[in-house]
Amino acid sequence: MSAMFSQNPVMNGPNYSFSDAPRTNNGEFREHRFNPYSDNGGSTLAIAGADFCIMAGDTRHTSGYSINSRMAPKVFRIGGSNSDQSDATIALSVCGFAADGNALRDQLDTVCKIYRYRHGKPMSVHACAKRLSTILYNKRFFPYYTHAMLGGIDEEGKGAVYSYDPVGSYEREQCRAGGAAASLIMPFLDSNVNFKNQYVPGSGVGHELKERERHPLSRPVVETIVKDAFDGAVERHIEVGDNLQMMVITKDGIEEIMLPLKKD
Amino acid sequence: MFMARSEYDRGINTFSPEGRLFQVEYSLEAIKLGSTAIGVATSEGVILGVEKRVTSTLLETSSVEKIVEIDRHIGCAMSGLQADARSMVEHARVECQSHSFNYNEPLGVESTTQAICDLALRFGEGAEGEETIMSRPFGVALLIAGHDENGPQLFHAEPSGTFYRYDAKAIGSGSEGAQAELQNEYHKSLTLEDAETLVLKTLKQVMEEKLDHKNVQLASVTKDKGFRIYTDEEMAEVVERLPAN
Amino acid sequence: MDHRPQAWGRPRDDVYGAYDHSFMNTNSHPNQHTQQPLVTGTSVLAVKYKDGVVIAADNLGSYGSFARFTDVKRLHTFQDTSVVGFSGDISDMQYITRHLHQKSIEESYASSSANKKSRLSAANLHTYLSKMLYRRRSKMDPLWNHMLVVGFDDDEKPFVGSADLLGTTFTAPTLATGIGSMLAQPLLRTYAGTDEEAAERTKEEAIKVIQECMKVLFYRDARSQETYSLAVVSREGVEMKTSEKLENMSWAFADRIKGYGTQTV
Repeated sequence: MSAMFSQNPVMNGPNYSFSDAPRTNNGEFREHRFNPYSDNGGSTLAIAGADFCIMAGDTRHTSGYSINSRMAPKVFRIGGSNSDQSDATIALSVCGFAADGNALRDQLDTVCKIYRYRHGKPMSVHACAKRLSTILYNKRFFPYYTHAMLGGIDEEGKGAVYSYDPVGSYEREQCRAGGAAASLIMPFLDSNVNFKNQYVPGSGVGHELKERERHPLSRPVVETIVKDAFDGAVERHIEVGDNLQMMVITKDGIEEIMLPLKKD
Repeated sequence: MFMARSEYDRGINTFSPEGRLFQVEYSLEAIKLGSTAIGVATSEGVILGVEKRVTSTLLETSSVEKIVEIDRHIGCAMSGLQADARSMVEHARVECQSHSFNYNEPLGVESTTQAICDLALRFGEGAEGEETIMSRPFGVALLIAGHDENGPQLFHAEPSGTFYRYDAKAIGSGSEGAQAELQNEYHKSLTLEDAETLVLKTLKQVMEEKLDHKNVQLASVTKDKGFRIYTDEEMAEVVERLPAN
Repeated sequence: MDHRPQAWGRPRDDVYGAYDHSFMNTNSHPNQHTQQPLVTGTSVLAVKYKDGVVIAADNLGSYGSFARFTDVKRLHTFQDTSVVGFSGDISDMQYITRHLHQKSIEESYASSSANKKSRLSAANLHTYLSKMLYRRRSKMDPLWNHMLVVGFDDDEKPFVGSADLLGTTFTAPTLATGIGSMLAQPLLRTYAGTDEEAAERTKEEAIKVIQECMKVLFYRDARSQETYSLAVVSREGVEMKTSEKLENMSWAFADRIKGYGTQTV
């Protein structure tokens, strides 16, 4: 019935009413299934500093070409001891399918709360990072369709960023961009945070050439990089925009900053 | 102890009119029949010691295992029905492994003790017919020694499911005398070496047999080396150090 | 957002290519584990104003292109504090409202007679419904609806929330489902683009913009109808009208439309 509503050109031949049911190569019926996923766009970014960590994301929520909401945050505090999460020390960002992102956030937060009851201490980012990985892997065959990132302060007081794939592979990194505009932001970070392909002038030729030394960036510098990264992404990606939500995690807790982005 | 208990000591989970669970109380008695085990916590680490009760000269003493490892940083000494301890230790080992798998960090000593005690009251019949694992309470007490971010710790877990943290604790048949001795001798500035001597000295006083390096066993838990059972040579060395009398 | 309920929950055409509907045309296809919507409702619109929320949806239940049921109430009051507006499958809507009715009875036992106010705010109800939808989509047996939940949040501020068959949720000062998200939402955003702007609008302004949008939708949405329901949720309760009729329509523009249909000149 729905065929008559389709405005798109038919790609696999005319749909005659008397045509055979589509079959697979094995001759079995090809079943069209409900697609349980969608993409709600948006982009996230995390950068670790010497003694802080910034998790950022835009607040646009999309379906296809429509903007559903201009204020749907995708960075969350995790593992606080109360409902307003005022004493949380870990932030989670989720990008991709928003419903899965919310489910993942709720599950991880519950795990953190139970951990606090059982062991009488808040969970470290290190522990939380591994647990998030096992949560994602447990749904290996019906994955949470999200690019998750976890940020906090490690046991030595250094900023920590962990990034994940939808099935739980994870890695601790200095910085990572995720979501719709990841491919726009990541090269910018390679250049501005990790100083990739930058060499000390006159330090030699060929293998003698010395790489520009990496050093931990200060908080104002990181904040500027985050803002510039998103201003760039907004310019070139339709699913990114509206507001920039930044969570700055330090030893004193989490500070949340909301800044305007272009709304077009 | 030998008064008529009427019917109330038969039902495994029936309170007596005075509000007592006799079977659980009896299980505490079972421990008083076990061999003596002692634990001493110092700032450098925890020492566990047990007597082995070598009942025959033909007995291979190394086969008497009363101190076991739970994880790299936690060990425990037992007194009472050893077979019961097996399932408790097995449970604790699985909990430790599962925690480090899920969280990439070792399970805390208190949490391990709690995990063991969670098992303690799963006897009798469940109210909704759920599967139970035991027909009676455990007949064993454990001294759990470990090291975590809160430093070296010693816990005592009873069959009743309660547990307490101790600086020094003795369980088993010689526990009353041994505990009194520990009470006198323990002080906060004990070194690990002092603790080894104190454990053996105390064991020596309450043991029926004459103490030698074959019929006692020591183990330590320290920050650097984790849980370690003493070798025969090390045992001989500590026994050598004991004041002769 | 694709405005056709038949396309919801399906892979996007622009990404995966056209959906092959031919399987629906045979009478020998395998049993379908999943479903498609049969009788459907079109757009629901909702806007916040300074003291509450206005929500509207027409009273049509379509069977494909056939205007099958012309008096279907798609707005449902919950505990005189919240309203849920449904688009998508009508039978799933009836299943959910039956469930909500039961929930409401249980809730009214719990709240004392002295304190008549519901313990469940619209924000709570929105969370509840979205978990229900997400659970069903995770079982691959979705409730084929896109709904708007309106009322107040826990801070007593006006609330408008959306939840769809995938469990996707979001809130905004104005919302519209289905084709309304394309035709009405841009107009609604000129009325109030932010919560601050919405807090300056009056009830009359809110009703007016909703009426205008319902008119635009009736002009252009082939699955819409002239009679509709309109509810105003304020702190005093829910004011529900179920037989509103579009007024002051002008079809003068119609004969200037060229390019499709049977028109030959």
